[in-house]
Amino acid sequence: MEKFSFKDVLVTFAGLLITAFIAWVLISATGNNPSEVALYLYEGGFKGTRNIANSLYQATPLILTAVATLISFRVGMFNIGINGSMYVGALYAGWAGYKFTTLGHFTHVTVCILIGMLVGAAWMLLPALLRVYAGVSEIISTIILNFVAVLFVSYMANGPFRADPIAPATPRILETAELKQIFPNSQFNTGFFIAVFVAILAHFVLNKTTFGYELRSGGDGLVGMYPSRFSSYLGIPSDRSAIIGMLISGALGGLAGAIEVLGAVRYFFQELEFNQGFDGILIGILGKLEPIGSVIASLFYGAIKNGGFYVDYKTDVSREIIIVLISILIFFVSAQKMVKGLEKYPLIKKLDNFFSRKKM
Amino acid sequence: MNKDIAIHLKNITKEYPGVVANKNVDFQVFKGEIHALVGENGAGKSTLMKILYGIEQPDEGEILINGKLEQINKVETAINLGIGMVHQEFTLVPSFTAPENIGLGQEPRNSQGIIDWKGLNKLVVNIAEKYGFKVDPSLKMIDASVGVQQRTEILKTLYRNANILILDEPTAVLTPQETDELFTVIRTLVDEGKTVVFITHKLREVMEIADRVTVMRAGEVQGVSETKNTSIAELASQMVGREVFLQVKKDDAKPEEEILNVEDLWVHDARGLLAVKGVSLNIRKGEIVGIAGVEGNGQSELVEALTGLRKTSQGSINYLGENIASSSPKNIRRKKIAHIPEDRTNTGLNTQLSIWENLIGNSYFRKPLSTNGIFNLKKIATHSNKLKEDFDIRAPNISLKVKSLSGGNQQKVVVARELSEDPILTIASQPTRGVDIGNIEAIHEQLVQMRDDGGAVLLVSAELDEVMAVADRVGVMYEGQIVKWVNPKEVDQSQMGLYMAGIKD
Amino acid sequence: MEWIEIFDLSIFRSLLRSTAPIAIVGMAAAMCSAAGVLNIGLEGKMLNAAFAGVYASYTFESVWAGFTAGIIAGLLTAALFGLLSFTLGADEVLAGLAINIFALAGTTYLMRTIFGQAGFFSDPRIVGFEPISVSFLRGTFLEPFLSDFTYSVYLMFVLAILLHTVYYRTRLGTAIRATGENPEAAEDAGINTVRIKWMVTVFSGLLAGISGIFLSLENLTMFTEGMSAGKGYIGLVASSFGNNTPFGTFGASLFFGLGDAIGIRLQGVYELDSRLILMIPYALTVVVLILIGIRQRLRVRPVPITESSIE
Repeated sequence: MEKFSFKDVLVTFAGLLITAFIAWVLISATGNNPSEVALYLYEGGFKGTRNIANSLYQATPLILTAVATLISFRVGMFNIGINGSMYVGALYAGWAGYKFTTLGHFTHVTVCILIGMLVGAAWMLLPALLRVYAGVSEIISTIILNFVAVLFVSYMANGPFRADPIAPATPRILETAELKQIFPNSQFNTGFFIAVFVAILAHFVLNKTTFGYELRSGGDGLVGMYPSRFSSYLGIPSDRSAIIGMLISGALGGLAGAIEVLGAVRYFFQELEFNQGFDGILIGILGKLEPIGSVIASLFYGAIKNGGFYVDYKTDVSREIIIVLISILIFFVSAQKMVKGLEKYPLIKKLDNFFSRKKM
Repeated sequence: MNKDIAIHLKNITKEYPGVVANKNVDFQVFKGEIHALVGENGAGKSTLMKILYGIEQPDEGEILINGKLEQINKVETAINLGIGMVHQEFTLVPSFTAPENIGLGQEPRNSQGIIDWKGLNKLVVNIAEKYGFKVDPSLKMIDASVGVQQRTEILKTLYRNANILILDEPTAVLTPQETDELFTVIRTLVDEGKTVVFITHKLREVMEIADRVTVMRAGEVQGVSETKNTSIAELASQMVGREVFLQVKKDDAKPEEEILNVEDLWVHDARGLLAVKGVSLNIRKGEIVGIAGVEGNGQSELVEALTGLRKTSQGSINYLGENIASSSPKNIRRKKIAHIPEDRTNTGLNTQLSIWENLIGNSYFRKPLSTNGIFNLKKIATHSNKLKEDFDIRAPNISLKVKSLSGGNQQKVVVARELSEDPILTIASQPTRGVDIGNIEAIHEQLVQMRDDGGAVLLVSAELDEVMAVADRVGVMYEGQIVKWVNPKEVDQSQMGLYMAGIKD
Repeated sequence: MEWIEIFDLSIFRSLLRSTAPIAIVGMAAAMCSAAGVLNIGLEGKMLNAAFAGVYASYTFESVWAGFTAGIIAGLLTAALFGLLSFTLGADEVLAGLAINIFALAGTTYLMRTIFGQAGFFSDPRIVGFEPISVSFLRGTFLEPFLSDFTYSVYLMFVLAILLHTVYYRTRLGTAIRATGENPEAAEDAGINTVRIKWMVTVFSGLLAGISGIFLSLENLTMFTEGMSAGKGYIGLVASSFGNNTPFGTFGASLFFGLGDAIGIRLQGVYELDSRLILMIPYALTVVVLILIGIRQRLRVRPVPITESSIE
């Protein structure tokens, strides 16, 4: 994978500026005051312990879904179905959270998390097998499974797993299954550290181990490359890499869901809505498919997302504006020719070479 | 001589980043002649023709067609000027029939814009008959032979009223006999008043078919002559800049015990058709066995079967006494069989990865490059840098992505990796394709060195010169079978041509 | 007893109604895929058009204002996709995906900000399409089958025939197919493949736009968040199952429509959870994907080795 280069950073920042301008136009056009919105966005994202804690809480699932995205992309598969894994992972982690009554705290949390990850991974099994053994596009199948997941968990919360006769929801998880919330009045919980640990682990495994090398030998670009003749030629079963990559990706999606339920929501209910699976794709791309880059992008996104809630609460501007703006930013970042076009300016090329030199 | 000039390219200069592809090139073709344009790979012939055909724009220079100054900035313009081009890689739509391909973009249609398919078929058959071709209007190109595909390409240009035909390396995929048929067609075309530009690097063909010849080297024209006033030797020296032919310095082979013994091997291709039909061959320690033949006669599938990339359907592959047929590529590699594949960019390399990541593809799992599955990056750097030195890979550092390297340097990465782990058997398929002349020599020397160090080498190449110069024994492959085994020292090229066409003695 | 009741005239009509949006967007997908453009962004185009249609219909109290606005929205979204993919060199899948996320968030944002509504927006001022009575069918036995549908059903039939003709019998059609199968061959024949890709993309914006408008202004007159509900993706699957041909896509869409129609009917007959019913189209899509996979696997059958293998 290409490391961050100066021109990428330049394009990202230019994109940010232009996006900010578009935001200004959009907010004014709908009859609101842009500078007021900007202030609330900042306050909601960064001001005070509680807001910072909430921003980190927002970043938690994003880190995991972004890493899930980049792992699948780097093995050469386009997994768009992380949101689906997140839903089923959350549902079954929640189920394990009230079902096992005799376990100690650490064991119970571990079991719940593992079940969430397992279910999340299982959710990706069909698309992975269809792609590998029958050549069916994983893009379409994972997208369709997202829709199935929403209806499936909603059915389960309303039917088989329903506890409350009034509201369609599962029972609350037991205290032994909870991930601890650290700050008062904030849903920030120890899941954040799990997420960061997973990202660091992913960075290490992908870049520094033979297993990671085998996984990404078939892909490692922004554009899916499975099936890779290069891998098979080297004797690395690229089918196996593709399946493992998809399953890890699904497991991390499931983990994101499990942490949401165990650390913040504490039960699963029918209206529980996740979008982090989709946001994670955008963040993974912003982070150039590098785990560490994705953590940074997630922290940024988490903060403005939390700021967005505050804006939504304080003004008439709806919080979806944040996603709109991020997708506009992605338009800039994904425009490869714009990035390449910068190469013709000697100064940028020089700076680029300066920042990208490496010792190896 | 006072003839009309059909094409005049004046002072053409074209630069790509880092390379001057054409430098002040002046190129003239008379009306009604067969004009050969010769030069090594990378001499600038293709660029020049792309400029003439409107695919590329020159940085400087003018184009005159029939004496008139023209701006050819797209293919359409070239077509309208009566220029037709048959590319080396055919540009046919596989699911379309011959007439559908021939008429593409110019189909006859009624006033409502509805295509008259019957009319098109009739038109195509008429044109074909005029020039002595046969066409089957219902045959889809995916099922057609290479010769038929090439004739379809030529008909395509004639359908569009081309008066000037550019044929880019048309004989590369043909047997000598098919080549003769093509030459008959070319002569008919010229008799009917067409002008033909014939791009090649095979000088024997130039002497046989062309009226005049322009030689290019390193982007510049080295000379223009009438074929009757020149010789192969003279053209060759203009072409390579020194008076040598492809020669490989090597002693006679001293073969020892048998390394590989293939018996009655049958292999299916990706479409489920039989590509290898009962091949038997053996390779001994200390010799280079060559496989010659026109491409597409099962060589690719044979190599894929030997290296585990394709399942075998019948027969055995005995390597050091063990049957490795349908074994996994991993198992085969671990038994010290190296493979330089014909497809460099997709199979031999992952161009998204860095040079070092490509170089360790066959060694990343062993100590000291990794311990318990964890990379030792310092050792990897030492290992990779040494290979970079030894194999003269020209790149500023090994962290660079392979996709930014030139074709020759990319191939050196493949060769360096494959020869680095002391292979017992090296299988090299088209190892010098798209590689410049200097590097071709280096790769040939490395293969001979492998042999002299006690290795066994299988060399598969469509370049007859290469197989004849490098290999100690040569098998000729035709339609999935090895039709003849020869000693390259005891056979001449025309004899080889007959074998390559499937004619056994 | 129920199965007899399930298959009757009304299920036929329901089938056509359910098929129309998938078939229309599916044919848009087919044209794109035939030209080698993987257009994931159809979903976003539908959604933008559905919202623009409702907004304009509400503002001007005219269904044709809504229609026009919806088409413009579909075309603009398509232009954005083309700009990113063909002009600025973005990967088609990423561009399409970003557009879908953009459209989902964008329409939700606008609805919440402009109308102050969350979830859905409905208002008596929104004017929808009325069913058309087909005069030449009146009194014939076909009237109960084919008359009194809204535009989308008739448009679906017209499109299938029109596109079939274009696809197989015009220069544009052969150019599209050549561009998708071998762009070099097309370029060599003087076909501007980038222009062809732009054309099918813009055309897909038009069709996805129309399909989106029918979602919000035909049987319903309202906008709901994410109301395209994967129809753009299902259209892609339909086109893939139909080998990217107009008739093939139409046939595959009928299959999805049938599933939908049976689902709607089952809801009336059995006490089934609505979520399971809603799952039917997606489950069918998964089934179709599996069928596509099986078909692809069956395509390669090794010929047997016999004595006549060597001729």
